[in-house]
Amino acid sequence: MSVVVRAEGVSKEYRFGVINNQSLARDMQSWWAKVRGKEDPWTQIGKTSNFGRRDRFWALKNVSFEVKMGERLAIMGRNGAGKSTLLKIMSRITAPTEGRIKLRGRVASLLEVGTGFHSELTGRENIYLNGTILGMKKTEITKKLDEIIAFSEIEEFIDTPVKRYSSGMYVRLAFAVAANLDSEILIADEVLAVGDAKFQAKCLGKMHDVSEKQGRTVLFVSHNSDAVLNLCNRGIILDHGVEDYVADNINEVVDRYNKLIKSQ
Amino acid sequence: MSDVNRQTEEAWDLIIEPKRSLFDLRLKELYGYRDLIGLLIRRDFVAAYKQTVIGPFWFLVQPLMMTLVYMFVFGNIAKLGTDGIPQPLFYFSGTILWNFFAHSLTQSANTFNANAQLFGKIYFPRLAVPISYAATGLITVGVQFVVLLLFYFYYLFTGYAFHPNWWLLAVPLLIFQLGALGVGLGIIISSLTTKYRDLKQFLTFGLQLWMYATPIIYPMSKVPQKWLWVYQINPIAPVIEMFRYAFLGGDNFPLGSWLISLGFSAAVLFLGVAFFNKNERTFIDVI
Repeated sequence: MSVVVRAEGVSKEYRFGVINNQSLARDMQSWWAKVRGKEDPWTQIGKTSNFGRRDRFWALKNVSFEVKMGERLAIMGRNGAGKSTLLKIMSRITAPTEGRIKLRGRVASLLEVGTGFHSELTGRENIYLNGTILGMKKTEITKKLDEIIAFSEIEEFIDTPVKRYSSGMYVRLAFAVAANLDSEILIADEVLAVGDAKFQAKCLGKMHDVSEKQGRTVLFVSHNSDAVLNLCNRGIILDHGVEDYVADNINEVVDRYNKLIKSQ
Repeated sequence: MSDVNRQTEEAWDLIIEPKRSLFDLRLKELYGYRDLIGLLIRRDFVAAYKQTVIGPFWFLVQPLMMTLVYMFVFGNIAKLGTDGIPQPLFYFSGTILWNFFAHSLTQSANTFNANAQLFGKIYFPRLAVPISYAATGLITVGVQFVVLLLFYFYYLFTGYAFHPNWWLLAVPLLIFQLGALGVGLGIIISSLTTKYRDLKQFLTFGLQLWMYATPIIYPMSKVPQKWLWVYQINPIAPVIEMFRYAFLGGDNFPLGSWLISLGFSAAVLFLGVAFFNKNERTFIDVI
C-alpha cells in the first residue's frame, strides 16, 4: 500500500501571553526602549519583554508518522497534547514552525461541521456554499445533491433558511455535506460529538464504509474511545506535544490512552 | 527499486512547509476555487437583500441620495461649480466611482478580522474572499453605471455639448484599476490589522480625507496652483479625470499622470497579493 500522508519532524511554536503590545504605537515604544538599552515600558511586572524572543513553548515537537492508503488513523491525547495543533497544520490553517507534511490526493478536513453556513441562505444554498468551501466543484455537488439531502433526513426543510432550523437539523445537514465529499483523505476532529446517538452511528458507519470500499484514508481525532474503536484501525497518542505511542493495533492504543488518563 | 522509490517520492500533491516564497502567488489553486468565489458573491447579495422591500434597489438609492445632498451643499450653497457639467451627472459619476474604490478597500481591509471564525476552521485560498468583495462592488457599480448612462443620454439629447471620444473604450480599464487599487491597499492593510488594530481606526477617517483630496465633489479647475502636487501623488485623481474626459471631452486630459497611477495600482495589487499570501498562513496565530 502506498503512503499518502507523511509527517516529517513537524513542530509548532507558540508564544505565551499577548503576542505584541496590541498597537503599533506601543510596539514602537518597546522597540525604541530596546534600541536605547532601556527597560521595555510595556512589560508586565515580573515578566520578560513581550518584544523579545522569549516566552515561547512548543505545542508540537518533532512529530513524524506515516499513513498508508485506506488506513483509519486515530490521533488521541489529553487536552493540550497538541492534537488540535497537528490537525490545524494538516488542514493548512496554520503553518508549521519546522518540519513538513506531504500529502497525496485531495484532502478534506472537518474541524467543524457547517463551516461557512450562512443563516439567511436556505439549506440547499448552504449545501453549495459549504461544499465549495470544502473544495468541491459546483457540478460535483449537483451530482450528489440528492444523496446529500437524503442523508440529512430533512428533505421537507431543504428550501427553508437555515436560521429557522433546529440545531439538530443544522448539524445533520452540515454532516451530510461533509460525509459525501469525494476526497482521498479525510481529516476529522471530534465533529461527531453532535446529533443524537443514532445519527452519530450513521456518520461513523459512513466514514467506515467509504474507507473500506473506496480506500479513503481517515485521520480521526477523538477523546471518545468507543468511536475510535469503531472506526479506526491504527492509532497515535500525543502527549505534551511529542509522540507518546504508535501502534497498528487499535485496542492497544485505546488501552494505553485510558491508562494515560487515569495516571494524571 | 530505487527508481520506483524516487518516483513515489516526488509524486506528492501537497507539501506543507514552514515557509513559502513571497512571490509564489498560487493563482492556479485560486482558479480551482472559482465556484466558491461565485457562491460568496451570491451569498453577499442574497444576505444583504433578504427581507428587504426594495431589495437590490438599495444600491441605487444611496448614491442618488448622496448626489442630491452634494448638489444642494456643494453645488448650490458652496457654489464649487462643475466645469459646466450638469450637476447630477458630475456628482453621481464621482460618487459611484469613489464608493466602488472605498468599498473594495474597506471590505478587503477587514478580510481577516471578519472571517477569523471561518479561516480558523477550514483552508481555502484566502484571496477568494477579497476577490468576491471586489466582484460584489463591480456588479454594484455596473448597475449604477447603467443609471449614469441614463442621465448622460438625457443630457446629451437635451442639447448639452459633450465630446465623447475613443477613450470611452478605456472606461472598463479605469474601473478595474479602481478595484485593483482598492483591493491591493485593502489586503495590505488586512495583513497588518491582524496584528495592529489601530490601522482600522485610521482607515475610516483616512478614506474621508482622501475623498476630499480627490476631485469628486469639485472640478480640478477650482484647485489652486500651489495644491496641484496633491493631485500629482493621488493615484485616484487621474482616474476620475480620465473617466470624465472620456464621456465629456474638454481640456483636462492627464494622460501622463494616469499612466503612472496605472503602473502604481498594478504594483500595489501585486505586492498586496504577495504580502497577503505570506500572511494568510500564520495570521490565525496572531489575530
